Amino acid sequence: MSTAIDTPPVTAEEVTAQGKARAKRGETLTGWAFAAPFAVLFVLFLVVPAVYGLYLSFTGETLTGAGSGLVGFANYGEALRDPDMWKSLGNTLWFTVLSTVPLIVLSLALALLVNLGLPGRWLWRLSFFLPYLLASTVVVMFWSWMYNPTLGLINGVLAKFGAAPVAWLQDPKVAMVSVVITTLWWTIGFNFLLYLAALQNIPEQQFEAAAIDGAGKWRQLFSIVIPQLTPTTALLVTLQVLASLKVFDQIYMLTNGGPAGKTRSIVEYIYESGFTGYRFGFSSAISYLFFVLIVLVALAQYKIINRRSAA
Amino acid sequence: MSDQLSRRGLLKAAAALAGSGLLVGCAPGASRSATDLSYWHLLTGGDGTVMAGLVDAVNAANLGFHATQTVLAWGPPYYTKLAMASAGGRAPDVAIMHASRIAGYAPGGLLEPWDLDLLAEVGLHESDFPARVWEKCQYDGKLYAIALDTHPFVLYYNTEHAERAGVTDALHSMKSPEEFTEIAAKLQKVTGKHGLSYGYLGDGSQMWRLFYTFYRQTGADMKLVPGQKAQVDKDAAVKTLTFIQSLLNDTIASRSGDGGTATSEFLHGESGMFLGGVWELPVLKDAKMPVDALPIPTLFGTQAAYADSHTFVLPRQSKVSPERRKHVYTMVAEILKRSVKWAGGGHIPAYQPVAHSAEYQALKPQSNYAGIPAYVNYDPDVWFTGAGSDFQNYFAENVQNVFLGSGDPAAGFDGFVARLNKLLDRPQPV
Repeated sequence: MSTAIDTPPVTAEEVTAQGKARAKRGETLTGWAFAAPFAVLFVLFLVVPAVYGLYLSFTGETLTGAGSGLVGFANYGEALRDPDMWKSLGNTLWFTVLSTVPLIVLSLALALLVNLGLPGRWLWRLSFFLPYLLASTVVVMFWSWMYNPTLGLINGVLAKFGAAPVAWLQDPKVAMVSVVITTLWWTIGFNFLLYLAALQNIPEQQFEAAAIDGAGKWRQLFSIVIPQLTPTTALLVTLQVLASLKVFDQIYMLTNGGPAGKTRSIVEYIYESGFTGYRFGFSSAISYLFFVLIVLVALAQYKIINRRSAA
Repeated sequence: MSDQLSRRGLLKAAAALAGSGLLVGCAPGASRSATDLSYWHLLTGGDGTVMAGLVDAVNAANLGFHATQTVLAWGPPYYTKLAMASAGGRAPDVAIMHASRIAGYAPGGLLEPWDLDLLAEVGLHESDFPARVWEKCQYDGKLYAIALDTHPFVLYYNTEHAERAGVTDALHSMKSPEEFTEIAAKLQKVTGKHGLSYGYLGDGSQMWRLFYTFYRQTGADMKLVPGQKAQVDKDAAVKTLTFIQSLLNDTIASRSGDGGTATSEFLHGESGMFLGGVWELPVLKDAKMPVDALPIPTLFGTQAAYADSHTFVLPRQSKVSPERRKHVYTMVAEILKRSVKWAGGGHIPAYQPVAHSAEYQALKPQSNYAGIPAYVNYDPDVWFTGAGSDFQNYFAENVQNVFLGSGDPAAGFDGFVARLNKLLDRPQPV
């Protein structure tokens, strides 16, 4: 601390304030430096493409560079009038409903079962979670063989019971259900693990108190376990809905959108329009329409969760 | 205090270093020498092995260059990557493309034409190729592709079963759908399972190949011109689809056969005939089964055969090295001259000196169907058709239930045409 005669005396508080400001500036800079690698990648690979995609959606841009130039809202108009776009969107929503409900309910059931304290708990935990670690290609390999109408395991077992063979992936009536079953087997482990962790966090005293009050196991399930799991359920529903809406890999590899477009998801339609149909502008327009939908879903869920936690 | 600061300094430096390393990682690699040729193709399995052998043989001939092949997954992944590489001007020096895809590539400037004078220098002339194949390699009066082969959809049969059913001669002489059905029924009695194997389930290409063969045999054509309605012959299509549907009745052929099942069924003698591409031949030969092959018989009056061709193309490069380009011409000529090896994989060589050679003529059953290039039918010429294209998916989407026996042929075909019209109506992206 130094004071000069001509300048007004600097108080101790002022000095520390300056020092703090300087330290703070230094800290901010350091913070930015650490965030830089991520920030650069984020801007390069997310922000720039997203903004560029928005621009593309107003152009007639194609893979070959032909037909570029602004076309206004023509792509959006075409997309909104396109029956295939609506069909793919419908398929995606249908898949989301079909997959989210069992992925929540069944994973809770599995977690409850394991939490009962069965012998060999680690083995149960492992076997329910293991498929989640597999790559989508591997999962699809297994399942497309099992679904094979003539040589597949499933129809083989069905035949033992005298049932007629089912073309699991080729029959328009069951193809989507088959995709959902595969997805269920593959991804349920994640939800299961989160539920299991949440279950183990419920304080034991609550069960003791409930038992003293004469509550049975079912009563405890509905009055303690499920309410205590609400935050986990809300989180899982959010994650699940968003994951299901952007379904692509397993459908692309299992059915390639078939039969008759019955399993084509919106992301697959975007891929087809852009990469095999060459029309980047049109395909960007569909992705932005879809983006709006996802934002709306996310906002709605945010509202619901907020209202719950406020209540 | 000073201790902590220096630690921070160190961390800052580390972060800066990591950041710069990241940016350096984005820099493009070193440029290639003029003698290194990059060659992309989509040939895997048996075809991939033969092609690798051909490339090795040409490299070993010490012609002043070394070609390195890059093999990519067949179908949309390959064609998307090739189109993007060409659009960016950083394409390989030479690539394989199905003749049916040229109409989707050449108009957008993704390909560069071959120079006829340079071709003549390496000994390749128009007269060395079948006329129809040469014509398919043209776009707008320029030559964009050099054909390596023609690979049609053909009819295989089990010679022992045919002998026992007494249909060997009839197989070669049949002229109507009724005769075909009769032969299949006789073969079915011999095998006790199916008369015919045909895998199509979930595979639009397979459905299209058989449909288009019979459709063209009725004398019908399919013309697709952007901005106009699709010109098709609905009666012929319904006739064709009805006939195919009648074969897939679980007695003559499985109603829901997929590729793998159909091949294994035929291999194990559980059927007498097999409809498949010539590329299936190596698998059948390796199994040492009594097999013969012939063009799909003309059942509807006009000689016709669905086929495609593997061709060599020059994808667009923003900087062309004349020296490397010259080597490419040599490489292609050398591969063509050795293409009798390629014929071992079932394909019909496009290079006529090889096709007429005694060595090729001695290959059985390959030479049985060597006449197909004279009357071959490729996919309709428009940007969205061809091998591995969405066109064949759209066909499957609309007619798979017809093949499965649950859909109405007319309704299925109408759905397909509606889809085509929609594509024709859209702005052409190439």
